[in-house]
Amino acid sequence: MNVRLHPLTFVVGAVRELIALLAAGATGLLVGGMSTAFYFTIVGLTLGLFFHVASWLTFTYVLHDDRIELRRALIGRSVKSIPRDRIRGVDISASLPHRLLGLAIVHIDAGADGGEGELNAVSRHEAERLRRALLARDAGTPPRRVLARMRPRWYVYAPLSGAYLLTPFAVAGSLLGTVYNLGDDLGLITRERVANLGHDVVGLPSALVLALVLLVLIAMPVMSVIAFTLFNWDFTVHERDGSVVAERGLVTRRSVSLERRRLRGVELTDNPFERMAGVTRLGALITGLGDAAHRGRLLPAAPRTVAESLATRIVGAVPGPLVAHPPAARSRRVARAAAPPVGIAVLAVLAGQPWVAYVCAVLAVLAVPLGLDRYRQLGHGTDSGRLSVRSGSLRRRQVVIEHGAIVGWRIRRTLFQRRLGLATLFAAVGAGEGGYSSADMAEEDAVALAAAITPAWLAPFLEAPPADAPPSRDGARRT
Amino acid sequence: MRRGRQKDGGGPHPPRLRPPAHRLSRRAIAHWAIEYLLLWGLAFGLALGVAAWAGDAHWDALPGWLSGRVGWLPYIIGAAGLLMVTVAPVWRYRVHRWEVSADVVYTRTGWFSREWLLVPVGRIQTVDAKQGWIERMLGLATIEVNTASHTGSSEVSGLPVGVATRLAEDLAHRAHDLRDDAT
Repeated sequence: MNVRLHPLTFVVGAVRELIALLAAGATGLLVGGMSTAFYFTIVGLTLGLFFHVASWLTFTYVLHDDRIELRRALIGRSVKSIPRDRIRGVDISASLPHRLLGLAIVHIDAGADGGEGELNAVSRHEAERLRRALLARDAGTPPRRVLARMRPRWYVYAPLSGAYLLTPFAVAGSLLGTVYNLGDDLGLITRERVANLGHDVVGLPSALVLALVLLVLIAMPVMSVIAFTLFNWDFTVHERDGSVVAERGLVTRRSVSLERRRLRGVELTDNPFERMAGVTRLGALITGLGDAAHRGRLLPAAPRTVAESLATRIVGAVPGPLVAHPPAARSRRVARAAAPPVGIAVLAVLAGQPWVAYVCAVLAVLAVPLGLDRYRQLGHGTDSGRLSVRSGSLRRRQVVIEHGAIVGWRIRRTLFQRRLGLATLFAAVGAGEGGYSSADMAEEDAVALAAAITPAWLAPFLEAPPADAPPSRDGARRT
Repeated sequence: MRRGRQKDGGGPHPPRLRPPAHRLSRRAIAHWAIEYLLLWGLAFGLALGVAAWAGDAHWDALPGWLSGRVGWLPYIIGAAGLLMVTVAPVWRYRVHRWEVSADVVYTRTGWFSREWLLVPVGRIQTVDAKQGWIERMLGLATIEVNTASHTGSSEVSGLPVGVATRLAEDLAHRAHDLRDDAT
């Protein structure tokens, strides 16, 4: 049976046009002149409304036993058919207009081989029904079980992460941009006015400028908490029908289902500030999930113990403590951190630019503790079912991968690594970034780690144990 | 780790990978040499052009210490190119090796930096055999073994055509039989 989207869909679709219409009408009245440009805008908006109604009339979806079909017949016909066994996730989200009208957007993700589809606006009830129908394969619907839920205290962690701190600037930027565009469309902005504004700003007393800067500095953490709250309000992770479902958001409530059988592992990321506060972010490694950085998020910022216990409940215990890498790796980390500024400094001296050289020299000195910390954070570990590797300093990441998810091994040794007896081991995984590396392990450890996890793959290629004493060679290697 | 060590010898010696068994065709050296020659020849031509142009134009944006020495550029590029064309192909030939065991494709590639790659046949998604125009001239072919991950995808170039086609067919066949759902 062909089903249309909810009749109110075109209202949601047109809300943006309606808002723009009202704004344009108000400004038109304020300015006083109903210019031709304004009439054109209104005609455009009316056409937009008609377009929304027409696309609602011509879009239908059909739920078959083995697939869901989305038919569009507005300009040319198209039928998109998504096989149900390819569906990897069904997200339900709702923007403010959707919520006011009791509607929701259903986003169907079927990975690289199935494509994706979106049902913009069905009733909440229908959205839940669709999700249940599309994700439940055979069994009935077991009750949902909450795995983790955000505590109010955690909202204060927002300023620790850099991204949310910058939100005031992003908001101010987009606001200014909107005002400028609107003003420009209505002919309010002239070269003269912009120049005058520039003069006014330059002419401000320095006390006022200082106050403004202070205000921004105070606003940054506050705004970051607000933005964080908007995106991550009541972040809840629960388990249902063999999926892990993460729900979040205040204005736009978003829910992402991650299928358990596509889950390959998790990653724990943090930066130095978060490390000091004992806070970490948890993400999922899922095969074939687009925009995984946002949609695979399992906890936005949470105490490490909570994140680890959730990781344990999702993929199993996080192996630990991790094994540190040999001391030879330390000099390599430091050299790699300091090399770019040193190189630029040398070039600057050659080119006769002493200031650039000084700045780069300072950066090179600062790079030393960074390199040392990068070395401290290097680590790897494994247990009976999972491999874990950790690296990075300013953005430290610990990845936990199930052994079964590994589809290959790559061992790389550069000329420098060969001299130091080091090797970098990459575990190839068909999820996330495709491969996770454990940099600068001792050469034997790299092979031993791979051999311990997948003995059958490596066994045919391991050197036969030499009959005469290998210890002498080992001794030589260590010196 | 302990388990792995004991399984293959009983002693506490660290496990080490042995090199894969098979070398590439000797004609692979010629293939790489031609490739490098074309690439570095192009770079050399560009360098000559730049040097001539900079010598004529007396470009002001160039810092003083550099402007007198632009003439060196073609020589530097030429020397580096000569080194690459003569040394790298032979070096590569000595490093590149491959082997297919019962269920793993094992390769070693590189020259300056070396990479050992192990891809189990059960995780292979596609196997492609392909030939560029230089390879066609020399009767060589490249095999591409793709898994769900780019890191775990391997490429063996410089195989004789007959070997490559047989290997590709064989691998595709076995991958189909052994394939498990894990991606």
